[in-house]
Amino acid sequence: MKKLVLPFLVVLFFVSESIVVDLWPKNEFYEKYIFVPRFLLITIVFITVYVTRFYGIVYGFVFGLLYDVFYTEILGVYMFIFALIAYLTSKAMRVFYNNVLVTSFLSIVAVSMVEFYVYGIYLLIGKTDMPFEIFLYNRLLPTIFLNTIFVILVSYPLTQQLIKLPIREREDEDYLL
Amino acid sequence: MPQFFLNKRLIVLLVSIMFLVALIGFSLKDRQNLTWPEQFIKDTTGFVQFIFHKPAQFVAGFFENVNDIKHTYKQNKILKERLEEYAVLEAQVQELEKENARLREFLDKKESLRDFEPIQATVVGRNPDRWQELVIVNKGERHGVAKGMAVITPSRALVGKVQHVSPFTATIQLLSASDQKNRISAFVQGEENAFGLIEGYDEKRKALLLRRIPFDAKIKKKQKVLTSGLGGVFPKGLVIGEVLEVEPDEYGLTQMAYVKPYANVYDIDDVIIAKRKIDYPVEKGEETE
Repeated sequence: MKKLVLPFLVVLFFVSESIVVDLWPKNEFYEKYIFVPRFLLITIVFITVYVTRFYGIVYGFVFGLLYDVFYTEILGVYMFIFALIAYLTSKAMRVFYNNVLVTSFLSIVAVSMVEFYVYGIYLLIGKTDMPFEIFLYNRLLPTIFLNTIFVILVSYPLTQQLIKLPIREREDEDYLL
Repeated sequence: MPQFFLNKRLIVLLVSIMFLVALIGFSLKDRQNLTWPEQFIKDTTGFVQFIFHKPAQFVAGFFENVNDIKHTYKQNKILKERLEEYAVLEAQVQELEKENARLREFLDKKESLRDFEPIQATVVGRNPDRWQELVIVNKGERHGVAKGMAVITPSRALVGKVQHVSPFTATIQLLSASDQKNRISAFVQGEENAFGLIEGYDEKRKALLLRRIPFDAKIKKKQKVLTSGLGGVFPKGLVIGEVLEVEPDEYGLTQMAYVKPYANVYDIDDVIIAKRKIDYPVEKGEETE
């Protein structure tokens, strides 16, 4: 039973992103500012830090693929970046001291990195023509704000859940990259 | 140089970037159908989404209702004033519809571009990254949905178009998606109908762009814009919106109108997919008979 906790948590955050966007009242505020819930990405950063890097990369890859197929219909974009973010997070954790605050900060950095990356790709393939300033003020800042609130609310309970998981090999495994 | 190739991480990164570019290229190709693994993932994920989405929608609906009750009195007053107007209109419409049916029978022309079969669907997911306004609904190929069909709100205003289908789900591109490929053949209702194409969405004005209207067509503000049913699978006569402003197009050869959509192009819960009864253009043999 305990083995199902982690997949269930990730599925929950995967679904909650769509529910938040769908149920948010569609008023002027919604139309002007674009705030993107990146709960799944934040969870993947926490998994990388508190479970193992291997789990982080695998979950990032699988759920990134799901995200691409189900939501955006442009394959590869999120699959690549979620796995890469997991890898980079594990590298960064060698430098930083392992602490909830540091992980929260890293997850916010990851959110803004993903925003920039997706903006770049969509500009490249011509799916958007949003000017950079609008991207910065109407999209990036509200997104960071929303996700910061989410991290503040969730980081502590999420960490507790992840530490409790029955996964033994928490040492740094170097067989993968 | 050899050291460069021995670096495992770099090789993995390069290979995955190549893989990424190939995948993006593949999905940008103007494809008719999703591949079967994609369809399978869509259907299973759609099912899981449905389980989570239904209760969430229910709870949100409850709070919305409470909010609505607050404004009921004011709304009621306004609506009462309009009720009389409505009754007159309703009687007129019924009369006209009857006459239309009678005349059609007279002409022995039973089907029209206007007729469609409504397929009710519920939203089960929404693209959270909001670069493209995509919505996933719980009806698919098995229920008769096909690519390109019109999607309307329960109050019969156009909100979008089916982008892809899988056996049990369909992806809908909302009108607010600023996609140049998202073309809809439409006309401005007037003494003489002016035809044009809906191409894209202006986010600043919150209006659709109706392009390629003939330069000599006289279009006024507040005129209604409807689908023409000429461009493939859309039925005729679905309301889209009303004209906000008209201006000459880029090269001055045609006109362009800003159309304010009637449906809130962001807010949808339950939708109707319009399956046109006439599916294919009448074949030549039949026409000459």
